[in-house]
Amino acid sequence: MATRPSPARTPVVVAILATIGAAFVALPLVALLIRAPWSELSNELAASGAWTAFRLSIEVSLLSAGLSLLLGAPIGWVLARARIPARSLLRAVVIMPLVLPPVVGGVALLSSLGRSGVLGRWLDSLGIQLTFTTAGAVLATTFVSIPLVILAVEAGLRSLDPRYEQAAAAMGASTGYALRRVTLPMIRPQLIAGLALAWARALGEFGATITFAGNLAGRTQTLPLAVYQARQTDPGAAVLTSLLLVALSLIVLVAMRDRIFAR
Amino acid sequence: MRTRRLLVGLVGVLVVLTACSSSNDGGSSSGPPSGTTDLTVFAAASLTGAFTQIAKDFEAADPGTKVTYDFGSSGDLAPQIESEGTADVFASASESYMDDVQQKVGVSGRSDFAQNQLVIITPPDNPGGIQSMRDLTNPGVQVVLAAPGVPVGDYARQALKAAGIEDQVLANVVSNEDDDASLVAKITADEADAAIVYVSDVTSVVAPQVNAVPVPAAVNVVATYPIAVVTGTAHPDLAQAYVDYVTGPSGQATLKEYGFLPPPAT
Repeated sequence: MATRPSPARTPVVVAILATIGAAFVALPLVALLIRAPWSELSNELAASGAWTAFRLSIEVSLLSAGLSLLLGAPIGWVLARARIPARSLLRAVVIMPLVLPPVVGGVALLSSLGRSGVLGRWLDSLGIQLTFTTAGAVLATTFVSIPLVILAVEAGLRSLDPRYEQAAAAMGASTGYALRRVTLPMIRPQLIAGLALAWARALGEFGATITFAGNLAGRTQTLPLAVYQARQTDPGAAVLTSLLLVALSLIVLVAMRDRIFAR
Repeated sequence: MRTRRLLVGLVGVLVVLTACSSSNDGGSSSGPPSGTTDLTVFAAASLTGAFTQIAKDFEAADPGTKVTYDFGSSGDLAPQIESEGTADVFASASESYMDDVQQKVGVSGRSDFAQNQLVIITPPDNPGGIQSMRDLTNPGVQVVLAAPGVPVGDYARQALKAAGIEDQVLANVVSNEDDDASLVAKITADEADAAIVYVSDVTSVVAPQVNAVPVPAAVNVVATYPIAVVTGTAHPDLAQAYVDYVTGPSGQATLKEYGFLPPPAT
């Protein structure tokens, strides 16, 4: 619907700075491609346990994206629609993980859900342990990715004309029916964008995961952690594993392009 | 339209945050303030306490000098020295990483300056009931080790192998940590039942927060720490003076204070 701005001459300064900026971002990624020991590709990936980390990363990031959607979308709804006091404060708190260093998130999770944490102590007495488990890795990544769903859903609801829902209510639709059949379908693009961003963020999560869930192949060692460990013992494998992450992230971002920028 | 702008912003934030995973910065390289000489020492993480004290003493003895440390796992530091060339002195927790730097960059004045041994630590209340190294094999005990490639992690695996319990204990490992400091943190925070660290990690600050269980002498690994001037340094004399200080009587006294054993007699 938006009219495309007519192509203008690019100011020289803009062109120069844009070139420098793009090179700054692209060069390290290209360097990975150049430095990768391609001849040893299959050996390196097999030996370094990259595939185990790859499978675990897919599992953890998908579960985490799902959990972010399940819990984050309702928070977005509350922020956009509910009459609540201190809305800004609530928003600031739930968005906080976006700006916190992830390692701080990990320490905070340890203090709350660790074996001797505020809640973890009680969970532990029930025989439930989250640290050093895949569930713990999912929680750690969800902690850092949930704000992306919250922000996307809140923005979507705010841009939605409330008269659609009012009309549904006037025609006798229950609140739940209106939510299911009117509101959710109308903010579908934002739900998908939030989900995809949360997934991409979860895929790259490092600090909170290693701090809270630890680093064990097959259980909590996701791709970023595998890169971190391989860098010491096997730099070639670290480069190849990094490329695996770059490729995955590229796929996510290209696939999302239409959801975020187009239309 | 607000939505789109917000989402574009979100992508920006996402990309920025993903990029800044935690990592220690390479230290060094900022120009020395006028009148002082900046000496950059890359040192094994286990040396943090002792070397921080040594820097204070060394600077006090030679007021024109400022010692800057980059502490980390020796396995991280060696490749950094090889690729960045910013280190004046390298102190490694393992001969092999020093060999590596010696081959690829070159070193001078290399000498062994300390030794270290392994010890098992548990939280003070010892939730895993660890009385001996063999108890690390008990089902359900949560053990944390340093990752393979980190010297203290490799030494721990050597000791476990010598005791014939490597496989059983590795089955109880819940996390492979990046260095000994992370291992100590996991135990003082009561997140794991046992860790294998250096004797020198149990400093006067750490000692009250952990319970130490000895590793039997027959299987214990003696880690030898080499130090050397890195070839290409801008301050070879000062770097050698620092190495001499560490291997000399005052440096040795400080290392002893921090739980290190003297270097092997030559």
